Amino acid sequence: MRSVSAILISTAVWFAPPSAQAADPARLMTYSGIFQDNYTDVVIKPFNARGTERLDYVPGDSSAAMLGQLRTQKNDPQLDVIIMDVTTAALACAEGLVEPLDAKLLPVIGELDDQARSSGGACGPAVTYDHLVTVYDSKAVVPAPTSLKVMWDLKWKGRVGLSAPPNIQGLALTAIMAHADSGNWKSADGAFKALRELAPAVQTFDPQPDGYTLVLNNTLSFASGWNARAQLNRDRSGGRLGIMLPTEGTVFQINTINLVKGAPHRDAGLAFIAYALSAPAQKAFTERMFYGPTNATAVIAPEAAQRTAAAPENKARVIPMDWNEMIKLRESWNQRWRREVISAGGR
Amino acid sequence: MTRRQTGVLLCLPALLLLAVAFVWPMAILARMSLNETADTGALVPALSLATYTRLASDSFTWQIAWDSLVLAAGSATVATLLAYPMALFLFRTKSRYRNLLAIVAIAPLLVSGTARVIGWMAILGDGGMINAGLRLLGIPTQHLINNWTGVRIGLAESVMPYTVLALLAGFGRLDHALEEAAATLGAGPFFRFWRVTLPLTLPSVTAGWMLGFVLAISAFITPHLMGGGRVFVLATEIFDAATQTLDWPAAAALSVAALAGLSALMLLQSLVARRGSV
Repeated sequence: MRSVSAILISTAVWFAPPSAQAADPARLMTYSGIFQDNYTDVVIKPFNARGTERLDYVPGDSSAAMLGQLRTQKNDPQLDVIIMDVTTAALACAEGLVEPLDAKLLPVIGELDDQARSSGGACGPAVTYDHLVTVYDSKAVVPAPTSLKVMWDLKWKGRVGLSAPPNIQGLALTAIMAHADSGNWKSADGAFKALRELAPAVQTFDPQPDGYTLVLNNTLSFASGWNARAQLNRDRSGGRLGIMLPTEGTVFQINTINLVKGAPHRDAGLAFIAYALSAPAQKAFTERMFYGPTNATAVIAPEAAQRTAAAPENKARVIPMDWNEMIKLRESWNQRWRREVISAGGR
Repeated sequence: MTRRQTGVLLCLPALLLLAVAFVWPMAILARMSLNETADTGALVPALSLATYTRLASDSFTWQIAWDSLVLAAGSATVATLLAYPMALFLFRTKSRYRNLLAIVAIAPLLVSGTARVIGWMAILGDGGMINAGLRLLGIPTQHLINNWTGVRIGLAESVMPYTVLALLAGFGRLDHALEEAAATLGAGPFFRFWRVTLPLTLPSVTAGWMLGFVLAISAFITPHLMGGGRVFVLATEIFDAATQTLDWPAAAALSVAALAGLSALMLLQSLVARRGSV
């Protein structure tokens, strides 16, 4: 009889949801892969080591997929904190899926820079900055390029990979080129003309699995990418992957941290948000993965800062683009890419 | 209990499963398609046909619908043409390796779709095996991937094993005695095939083609990974709307429209097949 009970109990434990098996920790959802590995090491583990609250990392896919989770859990939230791209977070905020946050509720918000405080609107503030870069094969592309114009050189025909919209890399590239051409990132006619001319040299408008890999396996010589992942790939490839922050400039990709509305562990969630925005956590993650810090009081080691947008000379190249304004242009730019750019780049 | 009642009872579990796993999600999808999307991308609860109107008034929607149909029809046709002789050989062979050969023919089904596509990328890529061979022979290299050509090749290959299975299942109607009778009456191999074998196997060819067509038009992985961002079909458009632009009503409306269109096509096919068999 005792063994039957043991089997029944262990079966019940087996089928129970993971959250019921553990001591019911709070749950953070954000990106999987190398982001998860590094964020867990330098932010989650130290937070849990304090012993006051516990937080589990729930790997999400893209920001869009995470928003999908929030939408489906609207009436019964299973998550407490979510880190996602600012454009997607804005939707979550508008749909009432995440809570408003301010410095009264979380005093650490007062330590953030102006852009970090404002970018989340009434909801969660920015927790990381990243920026668009061009990655290239440093063995083949000599001397190291400084301008996007290098990709128009016929020498590289068929060796260029661009992530076209709706991928936000394509939107960011268009804005950078528009700003370089007209001084206004929204006036993109000149940018589209230049992109049409580049299109025949483009091998893929959707690099798979990503541009870094395709450059490193010699499928491409140039690709668009995000700085943090590019820096990690450069280290892993022993410097084979080159990174260009072009003279035309760059734009930030911003991740915000949000408290889920109706979070089952609201206090633990708030405690984690405060920790994630604090100077020690920001410093640790920047020095590990080269995302720019949003806490203005974080003192970053100079060698790491040089590789982020936190370095003054890099910061000076950041175009002041508002992603909430960009979202309004997204559909028309998406259509222009398809009808004007991709159609001009037949293979 | 009558025979009819027994039949209904036996079907009940499957019908319930179908209702829970298919009808209910489709009802949710249809409801989602009636919502609206704000300029900011936020989902606005509504009961409106605005999303359908917006999509129907965009020529690009019709273009991708047409491209999807042509791509699926072409891939299914190539797959059927390649699968037919293979299936006929497997059906007729008396070799003791027949079962092994059948397994080899459908072996691609044992590998994940993504892994198969990645294999094709290595073979068809600009620096892949085929272009390396062409280079060795001094022949100009070809762009075989990141375009429509790559997607056509990948789709035809991916649906071919299903077509082989459908053809093999239907070849049971092929009576060898009729072919022997034709031979006795002096018909040569080609004439025998054209006047006896092919007409008898036509219903299974139609079924195999239809299966290939349905699988090809709903395929996502191959156009997504082998199209290089140049190939826009219904499946990739639905994926982009659901996961990139977060326009869930548009994704739902396209899904509902695609389902309705495919259902109509299959209904038409079954009506034609029924009339043909009368």
